[in-house]
Amino acid sequence: MSKNIVIAEPSQIIYEGIINILKIESLNINFYKVDSLTEIQELSLHHSFNIVLINPALINNQIKIYKAINKELSNVQWLGIIYSYFDKEIVSLFDDVITINDSSDIIINKIKKILNSDQNQDKEQFEALTERETEVLKLLVTGKANKEIADTLYISTHTVISHRKNITKKTGIKSVSGLTIYAVVNHIITIDNLKE
Amino acid sequence: MINHSNYKYITSDMKMSDVIFDNPYFILMLEHFEIELTLQEKTIKQICNEKKIDIDLLLTFANLYNGGQFKEINYSFDIVPTIVNYLQKSHDYYLKEKLPKIQFYIQELYKINEKSEIFLLEKFFSEYLNEITEHLNFESNVVYPYVINLFNMISNKNNSLKENFSVINYKEHHNDIEDKLADFKNLLIKYLSLNDEQNIRRKLLFNLFELEFDLNIHTMIEDSILIPIVERMEQSKENSL
Repeated sequence: MSKNIVIAEPSQIIYEGIINILKIESLNINFYKVDSLTEIQELSLHHSFNIVLINPALINNQIKIYKAINKELSNVQWLGIIYSYFDKEIVSLFDDVITINDSSDIIINKIKKILNSDQNQDKEQFEALTERETEVLKLLVTGKANKEIADTLYISTHTVISHRKNITKKTGIKSVSGLTIYAVVNHIITIDNLKE
Repeated sequence: MINHSNYKYITSDMKMSDVIFDNPYFILMLEHFEIELTLQEKTIKQICNEKKIDIDLLLTFANLYNGGQFKEINYSFDIVPTIVNYLQKSHDYYLKEKLPKIQFYIQELYKINEKSEIFLLEKFFSEYLNEITEHLNFESNVVYPYVINLFNMISNKNNSLKENFSVINYKEHHNDIEDKLADFKNLLIKYLSLNDEQNIRRKLLFNLFELEFDLNIHTMIEDSILIPIVERMEQSKENSL
């Protein structure tokens, strides 16, 4: 299946340069050139895309709009194209960045990694919770904090958070109250466990 | 609830009644604007002129209701009272109508399904209700009065600002409110098995979808239209000091 990448970059030189680097590899990518956030929104009405490469200058005064689009297009990875100084705050809004000094290999690897993990995500969504995730869920809904869960299961807090992300991705439920109901329905806990 | 493939851009020369035939949610939008029905053959432009409502503003809102995207316009400060009044009216709709109805249906479900998961659903919702009520009341009692006060000061009707408060920090809540609403839908659609002869689940879900739809637009109006104007007003106040 071909992948779609949007390049939001006013400079023709940079735009052509990125396309040329990514064309070397037979990645089967369609490119779309846009010049503004509004164009990205319009494009998203008719196309789905995997990655947006974007010049931070385009979101500089439109951070709210950027955040709204980012939320709306939750499956899209946003990569900043950095070739001059930008505020850390703006750079931190992206999932990752490519910089003007990056070698072709680095750029290709970043893009490949995202496109591959996309496929994995599609698969994961239909899977049931793993044993480990079930354990994390059980502790979570009985009121344990991330740190306590980590200590009980001898894993790092970071791993607990990553399990929690997967639980939410698989169930579609974000809040602890919602997950509690999910756990009761699926007999992971009983209501008596909650009262303890 | 809106089918995006039917998306049609609304313009000021369209008849308001035609627009409603295409998308009944405009009735709700008109209600928030305090425009009453019996629209006869009037166009959007005529109605806006009669009610002294900024046409661009109404069209922007209308296109949000039609599943369209937010379009950036540099509004003048004059529309602030209209927006605040609109948002206030939509609070009434959530608090007096939609949320109590959802709570009622959840209670009805529990009457015929006395199971622990429905008990927990009811508890989850009453916690949610407290949270959203607190948020909406904070907007009504603190944020909106501040915005109106700032507006009055800028337009020289009043020289003192009662509160020292900035609007920037208050919107964190929005995400949380929307996430939990999505959780209710997920549980009802994917996970809860129920005895439901009266189709209460469907009525409950329709109400959740309707609330979510209007709430999303409410959030977009606050975050993308009202707050930028307030920030500009704050800037202009700073400059005038």
